[in-house]
Amino acid sequence: MNKKNDVSGMSRKNSIKFSVIRALAALAIALAVAFILIFVSAEGANFSEKMSASLKALREMLVSPLFRKNGTFSVKSFTDVLAQMIPIMFTGLATCIMFSANQFNLGAEGGIMLGAFVTALVAVYWHIPGPMLIVVAIVMGALATGLMMLIPAVLKAKLGVSEMVNSLMLNYVIMYMINYLMNTYLADTSKGVTQTQPFQANAIMPQLVSNGSRLSWGFVIAIIMVILCWFFMYRTRWGYGIRMTGINQPFVMYSGMNVAMIIILCQVLGGILAGMGGGIEMLGRYSVYNWIQQPQYGWTGITVAILAGNNPIYVPLAAFFMAYLTKGCTLMSTNANVPSQLISIIQAVIFLFFAAHQFLAGYRQKLVVKSAQEELAQKEAAERSGEK
Amino acid sequence: MGEEFVIQMKGITKVYPNGTVANQDVNFDVKKGEIHALMGENGAGKSTLMKMLFGLEQPTSGEILVNGEPVNLSSPTVAISHGIGMVHQHFMLVPSLTVAENMVLGMVPKKSGMLIDYKKAVALTEEYSKKFNLPVEANARVADIPVGMKQKVEILKALVRGAKILILDEPTAVLTTQETAELFVELENLKKQGYTMIFISHKLNEIMEITDRMTILRGGRSMGIYNTKDVTPEEISRLMVGRDVVLKVEKEPAQPGEEVLRVRDLEYINEWGKKMLDKVSLSVRKGEILGIAGVEGNGQKELVDMLFGFNTPNAGSVKVSGEEILGLNQREIRERHISLVPEDRMLYGIAATASIEENLISDRTANKELNKGILFNMSEIHKMSDQLVKDYTVLCKSAGQTIGSLSGGNIQKVVVAREFSNDPVLIIADQPTRGIDVGATEFIRKKLVELSRSGIAVLLVSADLNEVMELSDSLIIMCGGRIAAYFEDTRDLSDELMGKYMLGIEQQTPEEIRRVCHE
Repeated sequence: MNKKNDVSGMSRKNSIKFSVIRALAALAIALAVAFILIFVSAEGANFSEKMSASLKALREMLVSPLFRKNGTFSVKSFTDVLAQMIPIMFTGLATCIMFSANQFNLGAEGGIMLGAFVTALVAVYWHIPGPMLIVVAIVMGALATGLMMLIPAVLKAKLGVSEMVNSLMLNYVIMYMINYLMNTYLADTSKGVTQTQPFQANAIMPQLVSNGSRLSWGFVIAIIMVILCWFFMYRTRWGYGIRMTGINQPFVMYSGMNVAMIIILCQVLGGILAGMGGGIEMLGRYSVYNWIQQPQYGWTGITVAILAGNNPIYVPLAAFFMAYLTKGCTLMSTNANVPSQLISIIQAVIFLFFAAHQFLAGYRQKLVVKSAQEELAQKEAAERSGEK
Repeated sequence: MGEEFVIQMKGITKVYPNGTVANQDVNFDVKKGEIHALMGENGAGKSTLMKMLFGLEQPTSGEILVNGEPVNLSSPTVAISHGIGMVHQHFMLVPSLTVAENMVLGMVPKKSGMLIDYKKAVALTEEYSKKFNLPVEANARVADIPVGMKQKVEILKALVRGAKILILDEPTAVLTTQETAELFVELENLKKQGYTMIFISHKLNEIMEITDRMTILRGGRSMGIYNTKDVTPEEISRLMVGRDVVLKVEKEPAQPGEEVLRVRDLEYINEWGKKMLDKVSLSVRKGEILGIAGVEGNGQKELVDMLFGFNTPNAGSVKVSGEEILGLNQREIRERHISLVPEDRMLYGIAATASIEENLISDRTANKELNKGILFNMSEIHKMSDQLVKDYTVLCKSAGQTIGSLSGGNIQKVVVAREFSNDPVLIIADQPTRGIDVGATEFIRKKLVELSRSGIAVLLVSADLNEVMELSDSLIIMCGGRIAAYFEDTRDLSDELMGKYMLGIEQQTPEEIRRVCHE
């Protein structure tokens, strides 16, 4: 899972084997803990009743997101999960890039909201013919969010203000600003809930499948962005600068790179990605803008980035995991009577063990470093005796 | 003064896990009520010896006696319980807390069992402050008080914990002259009250002024214990400064060309008001190596910082090939083909968890050859880094290996490979071989000579006497932020003479020193 592993030590094959075993072990422990929690809260007069109720709940969480009651694979369920991945892939990518430079910008939440809002406004009010409207609307949303991120980015680069605090607060500024604009000027007063006028017909994104999953072409764009982000981070000098800043900022300065520029760049790019995600989510799955609460995609994006080890290429995997888990937990809550508070705990436990799996990766890295050093020392000694 | 020993360290040997022998069969003793100097160059083993006395490190062999009783100083807590306190060079204080709060850290006076009795803490601070005549402001935040007062807080902290023996690690290194004088009065005071002090320093005049006896360390071994009044500064310098192993580097005589680096009247006063650079002028010409020798902390670090844009001086000018470079950032400095082998290679020299390759390209990511449009030209990057790894004999599996997993010598080879391969006109090498193995040291030194003979100007800063004397064509010695001496030819220089200049016993005339400007 972690690219760092195959550069030092083990062969690639071994490294993959190790990663898979470790992931399965982490999942097994997490499920065991979850099972205990479910069992304790399960309804039932005796042990065997409790047991069967718990097993049913567990089945709901693990199997139901993709399979029907009779055990057959459900394409609809699968596309539902894929559709759920779209926004968190974007916020995940945004967070990956910002965290790579050690910039703990938490603004993806406000970012996806602002992107969605601006895109929605364009989709309602700008009269642009044909599918151009979709492109313009999403680009405007992305740009607006990129500009928004300039606030924490420039303050950090020029004055050293904590981007974490700033971006966190900004999320709420954005939310309340949108609510104010909605309530005061933009809301469709003919409706009982706060929402904008409907988008123009040519602003709706084409769907990949017509089964009602609302899996739009946004999924394909998200996958393309994953690849572009990977190339940007690992194959361009700017991505290189961002990654090196994350490892050792004084080194980057000493090497003659522009640290302030890098700090600003990564956050603006993060903003653009989050904004794009918001726009695509809007046009792909909605026909009006009606987010008055934070959609939580930004927070999930942070989890996704951490699971992916800040490497864009692992973002789809991590996003799939999170989408699957979220859906499983919802099903468990509705179909198996597991209290919703417990769902949050179980989700946290599973995440915790996966995060721990990342810590294990760090530990393993140390072990590999140690063995490599020993090996090198031996090699060195052998060479030296050879010289004599 | 009684003749009883409060501290005896017998046959102490310390081998670090990485194989460094920091102390070898050292005997050290301190009498009650004396001020005992522990002297030696950087890396002589002073700190290690004192860390063992304060329980921060355990000796590999040998025994320690406190008041005649053998003790096992397994931690600082144990050392403190035996009345040993340490005043660290880098203050161990919490800047955001007040002086009184710092004073009672870990031994907080309580009110009704739970709450911190802050008034009592202040009272305690003031009581001790008065008793030992060490004036501090109990209510001030540590972040806001001057360095001199921070030191007093450190001393008081040790005293409050019941220390009878104080280890002072280079206490004057951060102080101005006036603060130093003040400190000495206070130390004399403590001595009168029966306290014992171990004073780590390499400043001769201070040692002569304040101490009763001294132990001199060199290369991890003790060179003996002396009564301060029985030895002359010259003798001390001879005992302290000296070379053990000599690595010979073959080199032809330099044929200096035109001036590359021109430093004039550089002055720098640090944030605590201490003058770190005092009218420093020097020139380095094409094809020569100018060495800067001196005990660390005499302005070398500050000089290098100015030359590479990490800091700005209060006055003076620095020109490279006729162009002023003060005020430029590192990118602009590197664009002028100036390279720096940094003193702290882990902080500035590398990104530890990145690959060797990624560390080799950090100064040239915008080079045309390494880019194809907006993307990196990976095949060119691989080619270049493989070549450098080969040329600089970096011992690794491949250039894709994480650099942090290499040995210190190989890490430094990577740093040097990068800094030497970008067509430099001036190389500043700051402690280029510190702490690395013999093989890598020899390789890097040969490379430096080779490059200088090919017409590059080299400024070599090193606390390693061997290194500066073997490599430099001419050399200057820095002491107290000033150039103490300039030697046009290093061949017939003796360690003894260098020692005198390094420790400030002698000083050349301005005219003699001015010759380094080649005007």
